[in-house]
Amino acid sequence: MTSRKQNFNQRTGWFGFMFFTVLSLGLFPDSATGQKQEFLLKDQLQRSIVIPARAEHILSLQPEITRLLLALGAADRLVGVDYFIHRNDHLFKLIHPAGADLPVVSQPDGSVNKEMIARLAPDLIFLSPTEQQVPDAIERSLGIPVAALASMGRFSGLLEELELVGRLVGKEERARELVHYFREKVRVISETIGALEETERPKTYLAFWSSLIRTPVFYDPVTVAGGQNVADRLLPSRLGTASAVINLEQIIKWNPDVILIHGSYPPRERRVTVEGILADRRLGSVRAIKDRQVHYTLGFWYWWDPAGVLVETLYLARLFHPEKFSALDLGREGEAIYEKFYGRTGIFRALMKILEFDEWTSK
Amino acid sequence: MSGQANSRQKILTIVILSLPFILFLFSLAIGTYDISPGKVIRTIASVWHPHSRQDLIAPYRDILFRIRIPRLLLAMAIGAALSVSGASLQALFKNPLVNEYILGISSGAAFGAALSLVFLGRAFPPQIAAFFFALLAVGAVLLISGRTESHFISLLLTGIIVTAFFSALLSLVEFFASPYVLQSLFFWLMGSLSLASWKDLSISLPLIGVGLSVLLLLRWRLNVLSLSDEEARSLGIHLRREKLLVIGAATLVTAAGTSVVGIIGWIGFIIPHLVRLMFGVDNRRVIPMSAVMGASVMLVADDLIRGLSSFEIPIGIFTSLVGIPLFLLLLKKTKKVWL
Amino acid sequence: MSIRVKDLVFSHKNFSLEVSDFSFDSGKVTVIVGPNGAGKTTFLKCLGAVLSIPKNAVMIDGQDLAVLKARERARLISYVPQEQDSAFNYSVGDFVLMGRAGYLSPFALPSKQDFAAANEALDYVGLRRFAERSIGELSSGERRLVLIARALAQNSDILLMDEPTTFLDPKHETEVLNLVRKLAGERKKTILVALHSLEMAVVYSDVLVFMKQGKIVASGPPAEIFEARLLENVYEMKIRVIDWDGRKVVIR
Repeated sequence: MTSRKQNFNQRTGWFGFMFFTVLSLGLFPDSATGQKQEFLLKDQLQRSIVIPARAEHILSLQPEITRLLLALGAADRLVGVDYFIHRNDHLFKLIHPAGADLPVVSQPDGSVNKEMIARLAPDLIFLSPTEQQVPDAIERSLGIPVAALASMGRFSGLLEELELVGRLVGKEERARELVHYFREKVRVISETIGALEETERPKTYLAFWSSLIRTPVFYDPVTVAGGQNVADRLLPSRLGTASAVINLEQIIKWNPDVILIHGSYPPRERRVTVEGILADRRLGSVRAIKDRQVHYTLGFWYWWDPAGVLVETLYLARLFHPEKFSALDLGREGEAIYEKFYGRTGIFRALMKILEFDEWTSK
Repeated sequence: MSGQANSRQKILTIVILSLPFILFLFSLAIGTYDISPGKVIRTIASVWHPHSRQDLIAPYRDILFRIRIPRLLLAMAIGAALSVSGASLQALFKNPLVNEYILGISSGAAFGAALSLVFLGRAFPPQIAAFFFALLAVGAVLLISGRTESHFISLLLTGIIVTAFFSALLSLVEFFASPYVLQSLFFWLMGSLSLASWKDLSISLPLIGVGLSVLLLLRWRLNVLSLSDEEARSLGIHLRREKLLVIGAATLVTAAGTSVVGIIGWIGFIIPHLVRLMFGVDNRRVIPMSAVMGASVMLVADDLIRGLSSFEIPIGIFTSLVGIPLFLLLLKKTKKVWL
Repeated sequence: MSIRVKDLVFSHKNFSLEVSDFSFDSGKVTVIVGPNGAGKTTFLKCLGAVLSIPKNAVMIDGQDLAVLKARERARLISYVPQEQDSAFNYSVGDFVLMGRAGYLSPFALPSKQDFAAANEALDYVGLRRFAERSIGELSSGERRLVLIARALAQNSDILLMDEPTTFLDPKHETEVLNLVRKLAGERKKTILVALHSLEMAVVYSDVLVFMKQGKIVASGPPAEIFEARLLENVYEMKIRVIDWDGRKVVIR
């Protein structure tokens, strides 16, 4: 039952992709008549939306999409951002310092300033699927198409988004380039790891969202890096999210070999820490704690940053299979990946400094 | 006199009194991690007779002593605390439909605890701020609605307003704290025993113990306090002092509980009502029996949550789903003119 | 047990009570009558310190009622209210037991002594057999008796009763008032009763007090002061008093 549901979710991502591909194939842009072409998209909240084939003004309230726009070099299409990117995203400040001037359309509780949206007059709005009621509410009152998209913890989802956004802003070339780069990196990792038995994949528990008992059901980096997410048989707690809440005993029952902590929180804001888990006497019998295999990883930061998730996968691959990745210089790779996506140097280093990820920068 | 219970009541009393103990033992074997009753016994025995394979039973020990027992104790303490506080407030406000939830005590406590957790961090005990704001809430209700003898609608409306006020304040706290930090707060607010640890218990249990003891000692006095203020005064009660004592104790136990597990509503309403149906309205019996039944019911509810799935369903949702329809039913059936 | 009232003033909204100088005789039944709103209830409540009173306004055997502790006060004076509508349906026995609150500290439970006193009070009013029944099951007449029993359980020398016979049928009315006289006679209690019925007031009182608009306008043995002109003055209407078979009857 669980795996069927999982496949369905996976297929939904593919379905959306196929759907708009099929439709757009039959709708070649006719620039002579100047008609605005549209196609149908199914988002992560199972909503079918008609979106324009091209978007000049995009309001992205979904940080992942915002980062993709930046990677595509389409920052000029952004008319506004959300509160999180503006206030809490240390990464955004590094990759797009000019973005501090962008209008902030949403508030900490997720509500949006509809008047501001009307004034900014975007062609399209992106929202996180975790804001369940908001997309319909905005569409109804403003009549602008709203798409609730996210990678949902899957590489396929992330790449689909990249292609979609690339198509929207007329940067198909760049999108293709990045997708190819991403896939290549992943391929190299998979090849280096080689074929693995179930038993050779370290069982990994991800303690995300500042909580010991909240964990993502989908998290490709772990799988691609040659590990196994112990929670992958669970269902997400509701539509539009990748997280499930479990109880403490379940962790002990799983007895993971590795515990990864959501490390994108700045150090002083972390409520779940490596020291905390190692000292938690309730978990004393867990293998990960006995072997002291408790580490920080980037995790979601309102979904992903495409460069970050690649670096994370590399880090995890080295963590899970150190003997196969002994030659890996994570610092250099990280710099290169971030530069590829965002065209600047020093981002990775700065980020590692903010998050105090010593393991990542040391060899 | 009414000091004598008939034999049927005696049997019922004995059964109910023994429930928490039986349920506690039974609950030790329930949970995601399979520990059979036999293993439970052996693990507990290993405290005195060390087991030969310490590494094998290490998970059992960790789970039983550090996860299940604290959680069960917390469940019982909260159940008893909320039930007794509800029963006491009902006597004080002379209305069996009153409880700590609708008087705004729960939301005041939640706000206080949230404020403390966000700005003072996990190291500082949230119980203090919770108590302070819970007192503020019930004080506001008393001040606005006039007296403890106000009509129920007036109390209810005032309680709703005070609750709404503290909810708004809570939103303000959320506004100023970073969003991801508050993810855990949302879950806690729904009322969950999932994060019960000895550290939390070490503060809340004694506080609940003190409050419960006070209310237990006052159980006969509550009968007199449930009369009109004028009657109570003429019978020799120092009204202000004793009312404050009851309110203080009820608020203390509610705040101590809420600050650890979040808002769990309606227990303080359902349990005393059930107890009165079974044992009559004399608070000499209602108070202790409410404590015992409240503890038992919480254990059962928590057993269901832990036993049925590996997910954590907040217990506050449970109690609301049962409590609200019951409340409406009783509201409809009530013949006397509280309204 | 002497009760001395001096400069008792109580104001509430549009009403004010003023009794400058009055004494109640101990061991006697004093009945207070007067039109609605005359202040009978307020007066009684002040005498029982149920309402807050100024210092030195009510002195009981030289003690200032206003400064006495609640418990001490309850042992001196008991107050039987006009109506009783309890939110909870206590048993008669439990209800009467509450009269013992003045003898118990807040954290104490009733002792054998308290149970005995409550039982005795119920015996005195003849309702012992109802001890296990709930208050709600009783008739209003029986409920009045239970209220009196509770006041008796307080074992105070002074009893204040606010219109104990209103809404009662003649039989129960007589029963209650006979009880009042019995208490004064047998137990030497000082009893102050506010009554609506003038005829009953005349029959059952040792001292009659007329109140109007918050003041005492006349007081004394009924035989001396009960006459038409006073009544007309107090009630502001045409009244005649006739003697019938040794009883005074009021004709309106």
